[in-house]
Amino acid sequence: MKTKRSIIVFWALFLMPTLIIAGIAFKLLSHEQERINQSAINALSQRAEAISQTIHITIETIQDNLKQSLFDIDQNDLAATLLRWEGTNPLVRNVFIYKNQGLEYPVKGMESTLEERRFITRYDALFSGRVKFDFNIAPSKISAKELQKLKGLTGSYPDSVKYDAIEKKQTISSRQKLVALSKAIQKAPGSAQQDLAFKGPEQKLINKSEWIPWFSENRLHILGWVQKIEKGPVYGIELELMTLLSRLIVDFPKITEPGTALVLIDGNGNFMHQFGTMVVDPEAKPVEVISISSLLPHWRIAVFIDDKGFASTKGFLYISTILLAIFIAAIISGGILLTRLTLSNMKDARQKTSFVSSVSHELKTPLTSIRMYAELLLSKRVKNEDKIQTYLSTIVNESGRLTRLINNVLDFGKLEQGSKKYQLENVEIDRFLEQIIKTHSIRIKNQDLEIKTLIEKGDYRVKTDRDAMEQVVLNLLDNALKYADQGKFIEFVLKKEDVFIVLKICDDGPGIPKEHQHRIFDKFHRIDNSLTSQQPGSGLGLSIAQQIMKDLGGDISFEPLSPNGTCFIIRIKDHDAD
Amino acid sequence: MKLSKQYHGRTIIGFFAITIIISLISGTAWAKLEHGKVICRIETDRSVLPAGDSQTTILKITLDAPAAPVNVKRPAVNLSLVLDQSGSMNGTKIEKAKAAAIEALTRLGLQDIFSVVVYDTNVHTIVPAQNAGNIQGIINTIRQIRAGGSTALFGGVSQGAAEIRKNLENDFVHRIMLLSDGLANVGPRMPDDLGRLGAALIKENISVTTIGVGTDYNEDLMAQLAQKSDGNIYFVESGIDLPRIFAAELGDVLNVVAKKVKITITLPDNIKPVNIIGREGRIRGNKIELYMNQLYGNQEKYALIEVNLPESKSGAKIKIARADVDYENPFTQKQERSSAVSYASFSSNPKKVAKSTNIDVVREYQLNLNALSQEKAIELSDKGKKQEAVKELKQSAARLKQIGTMYQDKELLQKADEQEVQSDMIESEGMSKKSRKILRTKSYQMKNQQLSQ
Repeated sequence: MKTKRSIIVFWALFLMPTLIIAGIAFKLLSHEQERINQSAINALSQRAEAISQTIHITIETIQDNLKQSLFDIDQNDLAATLLRWEGTNPLVRNVFIYKNQGLEYPVKGMESTLEERRFITRYDALFSGRVKFDFNIAPSKISAKELQKLKGLTGSYPDSVKYDAIEKKQTISSRQKLVALSKAIQKAPGSAQQDLAFKGPEQKLINKSEWIPWFSENRLHILGWVQKIEKGPVYGIELELMTLLSRLIVDFPKITEPGTALVLIDGNGNFMHQFGTMVVDPEAKPVEVISISSLLPHWRIAVFIDDKGFASTKGFLYISTILLAIFIAAIISGGILLTRLTLSNMKDARQKTSFVSSVSHELKTPLTSIRMYAELLLSKRVKNEDKIQTYLSTIVNESGRLTRLINNVLDFGKLEQGSKKYQLENVEIDRFLEQIIKTHSIRIKNQDLEIKTLIEKGDYRVKTDRDAMEQVVLNLLDNALKYADQGKFIEFVLKKEDVFIVLKICDDGPGIPKEHQHRIFDKFHRIDNSLTSQQPGSGLGLSIAQQIMKDLGGDISFEPLSPNGTCFIIRIKDHDAD
Repeated sequence: MKLSKQYHGRTIIGFFAITIIISLISGTAWAKLEHGKVICRIETDRSVLPAGDSQTTILKITLDAPAAPVNVKRPAVNLSLVLDQSGSMNGTKIEKAKAAAIEALTRLGLQDIFSVVVYDTNVHTIVPAQNAGNIQGIINTIRQIRAGGSTALFGGVSQGAAEIRKNLENDFVHRIMLLSDGLANVGPRMPDDLGRLGAALIKENISVTTIGVGTDYNEDLMAQLAQKSDGNIYFVESGIDLPRIFAAELGDVLNVVAKKVKITITLPDNIKPVNIIGREGRIRGNKIELYMNQLYGNQEKYALIEVNLPESKSGAKIKIARADVDYENPFTQKQERSSAVSYASFSSNPKKVAKSTNIDVVREYQLNLNALSQEKAIELSDKGKKQEAVKELKQSAARLKQIGTMYQDKELLQKADEQEVQSDMIESEGMSKKSRKILRTKSYQMKNQQLSQ
């Protein structure tokens, strides 16, 4: 038992690290899956960043172009140019001219349109002078460098680049068209000269400008203003955000991967555009959020991905987990198998040891009797004829017992190896049984047991091995004599059932305990209790009997006899019946 | 002020090309131009005004579009159908929309450009802008449209506009036909936002006609988009009416006789503009500017202006307005101008004044005021002031009835009756989705003199 426990402990110790390694492996796999998922998110985020950069660059370019165009306006034709621009350029929502601390255009009151009145209200803080136009511009921001840059830009956008001309190129993208819109202002011929004429020697060129993200009624608006000449008018435009959005979104790449979406969200959390087919719940939390640009404050692109989006990357985890499970199952089942084999071998070894000891004892007992009686007879000290007969009879009986034991051991070896050969012959089982009962009736009666015989009428002739059959019946009879000697009878029943001849050998002994009933045919098994420990035996009898019967196409089984006792049932098959 | 002077100067320069016939007797100015040109008229609500103190009067500036000339190739159309294929369109609506789209396509000619954009959660251009000649291929594509998903209306219109822009430089009549049956839930969805999109598109001469199906779409959004881009607006309760609406709209689009129409009304210095009724326009000093994207053949469009006249003596005759209409003739691709001048005479005889009433002007003025009342009623109802909304509608109906009775005008009386019934219904059942859509659509159609309904 100690060894068995140590094997289980060893097995448990072996199992523990296996499970720990499996756990670690699974965790590593999960991490790897997370890494793959993260890379999918990163890929989407990079696309979002690319989109956000495109938006930023586009707006920046538009604003630079518009700013430059505003600087280029002839100051003498300012209002007309701005109005023309407002009427024709989709990028321009409103225009204004602020002069001498007051709004020159649009005019408050009836002369302005509803949109212009809203525009004035929207930027009231600026137009009423409560907030200066350059409130968010650092004094050093207008530098000589910027002026130089602005001059450079003047050169890079010739008058020939006009909206209509650009529209003729059909292959250019919507975004490019949008940028072209920002260059669309038309300079009146000769305006440069007029500009110079306008700028008197006392007027200092300052070229101040700024784009202001402006929040009104919780919505973003973008106002651009310029002041070209010191103390000159501040004028500018309000960008049409819907044009920007409408033109930008048609150019963005489509996202076709299922379960993924990029959503352009404004400062109030409204979905302004969605890329991708995934149905996004407005309350859903994005896996990543990317700010678009300082030019569109609080606007962002949210990255959404659901299980469908991860499905393509989950194959790795599924396959790896299956492989890991197979690996672990192989280890555990292998371990269990080895443990069982080890335990089985240990049990066999124990049973063999017990067998050798039993057989040695079994051999020694009759040999001792034979030797003792033979020596007595040899010394010729026994003169009584009856005693001599008794001694000789004992010698013969013990020799027979010895022979049967040796036969059993030899047969067991042959049966184990599958090398036992059967000599088939015609046997009349009823006569065969009567012969055995007659031969062993003295042994039975010596143990005060009554012989009951019930042989139904019929033809019991079969083709089988007589000696093997005899060995089977004798093994059962020996068992009955050994274990049921406290009983009153031994009953032999012979009858036919279908193709089988059924031979029952029953006794009214103590019977077989329930816990041993399923193992009585196992080799070397003995019921190790107070009763059997007094009885000699090798633990091979029933095992040999069962093997022989199976070899001969029959069977042997056991059933308890009520109220006590045991019945062994032999089913003999006629080989000719096949 | 500098601004108005510059514009005034330009208007004067353009006068030499125009023939003006002025009818002083009727008080109506006629500008009969050569055949095929848009005729401009200015009428007042009364040709003889009461002498005495300063007063407000109504000017009706009417544009009579000529019939499309026979034997002249009509202007080519650049049409983009933007169809809602969200889940709610499933069933009859999408099937009828497809049938209507195919019907519309078959009416186009080889010179026309056709594109189809569908939108759900995303936007798909299923037929990129192309010549309408390849009918079978396009029809097969349209038949494959399946409904499902959300409603990215803004994206759909944007994509439709992108398809139109592929041929923007050519002399096409540019038109987007937007069909939707549900609330926009992806992209900008405020009526103002879509209005701004419409305002931007009109600058490219792209008009958006909106067709609302069922009672679940946002009529304010659709109305703003159509109004700001000078398109038409339709409301149909079920998909069954879609082929008829598509045909009606296409009838307009294929019948354009004037494009980029700009009306400039110049008032003498002593006459002040007070208000523009129903239309969006700009008042600059004594100038009033209005814009219409297109005029359809045989259509009458007008603008109503309230002006304030100075004190006048009995028997005096003064010039009260001059109207110049600049537009592009799509058949010749040339800019044309039509003008009219209106004079008014004053009398201290009330009978003479009453007799000179121009019922056409009075009727249109009242109907436009009624359209404004309908819009106000919607606003009141939206604020939960149902009773005030009903009161507004009833008051307007009563005014129509009173004036209709006074001048025995059947149209005004009929309109008054209809409005009374509708206001009673709203009073008993509340402002239903359907009632709201009818009011919004009718008021828009009235203000814009939408021909096809």
